[in-house]
Amino acid sequence: MTAKTAVTLNALALYGISAVLIIAFYWQLAEGELPCPLCMLQRVAFAALTVGPILAIKFGPRPKYMGLVIIAAVLGAAIAGRQMLIHIMPGDPGFGSTLLGLHFYTWAFLGFVVALLAAGMMLVFGPQQTEPERIPRRGLIEDGAVWLVMSLVALNALSALVQCGFSGCPANPVRYELLG
Amino acid sequence: MEFFFAFFNFGLAMWLAWRASARFAGYVFFVGLAFMVALYLRHATDELALAF
Repeated sequence: MTAKTAVTLNALALYGISAVLIIAFYWQLAEGELPCPLCMLQRVAFAALTVGPILAIKFGPRPKYMGLVIIAAVLGAAIAGRQMLIHIMPGDPGFGSTLLGLHFYTWAFLGFVVALLAAGMMLVFGPQQTEPERIPRRGLIEDGAVWLVMSLVALNALSALVQCGFSGCPANPVRYELLG
Repeated sequence: MEFFFAFFNFGLAMWLAWRASARFAGYVFFVGLAFMVALYLRHATDELALAF
């Protein structure tokens, strides 16, 4: 795999994470389903997932950037897995609504597993240099992916502030604290 | 507020990765991970809730 291909794949990964955050936002704003603390923590983990690909796009692909992805994905999977275990007892309806039969925390868990697999594949088949000879040229696809995901994380920060206000977030949020 | 800080932290890491230096982006990334672990302990179970 060439460095240019690896950079494009990292940009596609950022679009994938952006899609996850957009779907979560849609359910929050259009369906009125406010995210619980663990749900928001999973969004934070998706934000953490983006740092490695952004570094790979900016400075060229290196194995250590995939290490950042793996660390963030393991933590995110632990959080989503914990929420799955909370609702694993028979008869428990789970938290929130479902998408294609699975709760959002289950989808998040699968997303983090996919991120782990993708980072592993990139480590095996991607460029092996710890210091790329030259940084591949970026195009509109790569720049657009970075700006899109950065905008979504900024919107999530704003949303978290409006939802939780200046104190701790309630376990089962039903209203935006700053909107009264 | 705590989740605002968490998002802000990784937003800052992303910005540093894009506009400044990989080294400082890495530092902020690991600070964010530590904060995430604290939030996880606080919210994962009532029994493990941390007082902050």
